[in-house]
Amino acid sequence: MKSRNLNDYEEIAGEIVVSQLRQLAANLKGARVVHVNSTRVGGGVAEILDWMLPLMNDLGLNASWEVIDGYDMFFDVTKTFHNGMQGSSVELTQKMIKIYEKNIEKNADRLRPVLEEADFVIIHDPQPAALLDLCPERKGKWVWRCHIDTSRPDRKVWKYIKSKVEGYDGSIFSMKSFARPLPHPQFIVAPSIDPLSPKNCDIDEKEIKKVFSKYGIPNDRPVLTQISRFDMFKDPLGVIKAFKTLTENNFQAELVLAGGGATDDPEGEKVLREVKAAAQENPHIHVLLLPSDAHRTINALQRGSALIIQKSLQEGFGLTVTEGLWKEKPVIGGNVGGIRLQIHNYYTGFLVETPEGAALRIRELLHDPAKLKRMGKVAKQFVRENFLLTRHLREYLTFMLGLGRGLTNYVLAECREHCDENFQ
Amino acid sequence: MAKSTNAKKNQVFAVKDCAIITQTGGLDSAINLRELKERIILCPIQCLYFHFCETLIRPTFDNPEFRNDLALWASTHLRDGVLAEKLGIINPYGFADLEKLREKVIEIIEDRLSELQSLPSVPRGEGFILMRAATVVFDTGVKMTSPEDIRKYLPDMSNSSIYYHFLEARRRTPDRTDDFTFWLQFLKNKPQPLIDAFSQIDFSFLNLSELKQELIKTVDKYL
Repeated sequence: MKSRNLNDYEEIAGEIVVSQLRQLAANLKGARVVHVNSTRVGGGVAEILDWMLPLMNDLGLNASWEVIDGYDMFFDVTKTFHNGMQGSSVELTQKMIKIYEKNIEKNADRLRPVLEEADFVIIHDPQPAALLDLCPERKGKWVWRCHIDTSRPDRKVWKYIKSKVEGYDGSIFSMKSFARPLPHPQFIVAPSIDPLSPKNCDIDEKEIKKVFSKYGIPNDRPVLTQISRFDMFKDPLGVIKAFKTLTENNFQAELVLAGGGATDDPEGEKVLREVKAAAQENPHIHVLLLPSDAHRTINALQRGSALIIQKSLQEGFGLTVTEGLWKEKPVIGGNVGGIRLQIHNYYTGFLVETPEGAALRIRELLHDPAKLKRMGKVAKQFVRENFLLTRHLREYLTFMLGLGRGLTNYVLAECREHCDENFQ
Repeated sequence: MAKSTNAKKNQVFAVKDCAIITQTGGLDSAINLRELKERIILCPIQCLYFHFCETLIRPTFDNPEFRNDLALWASTHLRDGVLAEKLGIINPYGFADLEKLREKVIEIIEDRLSELQSLPSVPRGEGFILMRAATVVFDTGVKMTSPEDIRKYLPDMSNSSIYYHFLEARRRTPDRTDDFTFWLQFLKNKPQPLIDAFSQIDFSFLNLSELKQELIKTVDKYL
């Protein structure tokens, strides 16, 4: 992806927002910020760091990104951490811990000089968490950034990870319900979308039509779309049930269920089979298995739809909801997790509990195009003000300033003329 | 307070901006009214400020129905309209200090508890989690030296800067007013009609964008 700078976002987020970021960052000029995670490509964390690093540097910070090395057995253990943190019941043995600690020590030997000199070290997720104890001469503030839903972690895994993250100066969770009791400040920073990424950038009508034509989706009837991997918690069968409830009452529409990630996931394959079986007899239901890099296709499907559905039964933050709202589409979403933070009845969409509820709200919105349009506009503005990467970046700068100045309720960062001395 | 004193002495208004970072309040979530009361008794006072005053500045939906989180939770989760209305009418800026606000909230909850025949609960995941925030204040580099400068610079001020000078100021200035008013009253030719008009703005039901437009309209009218 081409590196962007902040000026690229001025038109979308607003000049005032970008100017505010520059003013805030002036107080951190020259600060050495090191992000550490476990992979350079693939996954949400790498996607965030891909845009965050260039923007932090554009703001005058000295940001870098380190990746821990490992081998299969090491990553098997960290995968166990990841699954356990998300609530799966897993087995964590002393042997696994030894494998983890031995490899993290090797990484610490390599990274220690950079990490110990940094003003801020941001450790992403549990994989590199143990680095803190292995950098005893550290000078800066260390923050553990947990991107995972840790509301109900496996007890053994959390006990171990907790012992590694307790010593940090702070931790960051994506939602307040994910936060765990820890003896340091716990910040809440919600995820965000990049409005210039292939998944969210403006695309023209011609490209949208081409995608719809490629997948045989008629454009003479309203299209309802749910984008998500084929997972029971995303309730694709509930969406089909809602759609059938609508069509049984002579309602004419097309339903698109599109997602990826099923091929290497036995559970996903099973769900996909069930979805295809449920959809088989209905030519107006389009089940699309997309490759993981089909960002522009997803963008086109969302933009060409009348409204977006995300009828999850369990959800983290729900970035597909944010993406739909950004495209001026009201979203009909399950009343769970982060979807609740984004959908507000009669403003940005509707929260629903059942397939019948989804059918009712879809009918209501499609029956009133003016309401659909009005809610779409509110939805986009809501994302512009709250869930673009500029807000995400502002919150990172804010917690760094807060921690750097000794976190209190009220921090004055009025040292513009002296800040270079502070951080260089 | 330092800024306001500075303004008085130099007759220069240094335009600041602020950003907040949300933090957990360190208490378990409350799933019913009794637990909510217990948490409010125990929580750091900044939690009350967060849920009553900082709703406008943090990344969240500006729900026009209720402007504070407690009233909204009572309405949407506990489904207790009576309690929501009693909490919703509270003007947090009307209290001399936040401990008085805490007392008022506890009193309302206790009254409601005594009226209820049974204690409604919400599922664990829908409980009320008390939060707080740290505010970072920073300089914008803009200095205003005359009332006309307000008209000049107001349109380019961020919403958070408006929040800082018009709302947050009420916990810093001696008579709990906004920074503009505090500054204007010490100028040689103070524009009394504008000062009076600022004091008449009912900001309770405005989001920050609307408040900014209201301020611009007021300045245009009285300057």
